[in-house]
Amino acid sequence: MHAVIPYVIASLLFALGVYGVLRRRNAILVLMAVELMLNAVNLILVAADATVRSVLNGVTPEAWAYPVPEPRSGAIFALFIIVLAAAEVGVGLAIVLQYYRLHRAVVIDEVVLDEHDHEKQVTG
Amino acid sequence: MLALGLIAVGSGALVVTSSHLVRAGFYLVVSLGAIAGLYLVLGAEMVAWVQVLVYVGAVVVLLLFAVMLTRAPIGPSRDLDRPIAPAAIIGAGVGFGLTALLADAFRWTEFELPPPGNAERVGEQVFGAWVLPFEVLSILLLAALVGAIVLSRPDLGARPDPSAPPPEPPHDPTDESAEVVARLERIATRQAAAQARVRQARADALAAEAAAAAAEAAEAEPEPVDPLKQRAADLIFGAHDARPKIGEPGEAEILDSRIIPGESVIERDEPIEPRRAIEGERPTTGRRSIEGNVIEGDLVEEKRPQPEREKLEGRPERPALPAGDDKEEQ
Repeated sequence: MHAVIPYVIASLLFALGVYGVLRRRNAILVLMAVELMLNAVNLILVAADATVRSVLNGVTPEAWAYPVPEPRSGAIFALFIIVLAAAEVGVGLAIVLQYYRLHRAVVIDEVVLDEHDHEKQVTG
Repeated sequence: MLALGLIAVGSGALVVTSSHLVRAGFYLVVSLGAIAGLYLVLGAEMVAWVQVLVYVGAVVVLLLFAVMLTRAPIGPSRDLDRPIAPAAIIGAGVGFGLTALLADAFRWTEFELPPPGNAERVGEQVFGAWVLPFEVLSILLLAALVGAIVLSRPDLGARPDPSAPPPEPPHDPTDESAEVVARLERIATRQAAAQARVRQARADALAAEAAAAAAEAAEAEPEPVDPLKQRAADLIFGAHDARPKIGEPGEAEILDSRIIPGESVIERDEPIEPRRAIEGERPTTGRRSIEGNVIEGDLVEEKRPQPEREKLEGRPERPALPAGDDKEEQ
């Protein structure tokens, strides 16, 4: 099995995520694109976990590089990133819904950043 | 593996290009499922199932909830996208750059697929070497939970609006309009008049009664008690007292000879063993009681004197038990 395949898949997914974040105007679609990017990073971690030892064949390992006798840390990092992504989606969707309740829109082009909410409500 | 990657990348492209919000969510499900398949192939079984559970099961459902709560249109939306040029340029640049970097790093390296890991190894690692990040992560989850709750409640942490009018004083129930006050006064006077009328009528009635009583007391004299009348009254009220009351048994019912207590006791010359009688008689009793008109106590009384061995042999529908077994049962 070629080691390049999962890495290329992951980089393509990450590029798609970047494209989606920059292209979309709907905040929920931006969150979906962010999910794609997080999954690309997860895929890179898991693939590195599986392939790095066959890639680094003649390299003598350092002691600090192996905190545990059998390194399977990529899967652990992937799990942590999944949890982080779940928390991020929860808070992000709470923000999006609150913004929708105030302004009746989820278009992130029209979000005014240098103005407080109550001023915005009074003026417009 | 290549096919799974193609599915993941293709549906990911549909996620970022689809003009239906809900369809974008479902393409995201397909893409994440394909990535979970890639995890399985790469030997990270635990991560694959957590991916299916958390992403496909929770995150996408949350996103679709948000799509519904923001009243997204079902059909295609026109204004979902910005102009394509900068996003496409940057996205393509990132894709090419990363692909070139990783392809250059790994070139044509072959690797053998690792054996599928299990949750035991992952658990040892999480609670061994990575236990501190794990705990920090749990605190972060708690913080995210509290933050989401605070964000979605407008009454928590809301700053007072300086341009809003000052809050009105609480409503005073006695502060009514003139019309309501006039109506309340009218009702009060009407009630007072009615009360005075009723009191006056009551006083008149009491005075008339007192006058009549005084006149009667002046007229009346105590009459002598008639003994005949007394006896008649005794008779009448005595009969009334002796009448049978409702709910108590009358004298005639108590003396009724049809109810004899203790009739169900059957006379026997010898006491029967209850276990043997029940064992021998259960099927027959059931059948005959279905036919009706047979009292169970009579049945026991009829069948009791027969020896049990004979009964067992005489009935063909019951399988004959061996003799030693039967004795053991007894």
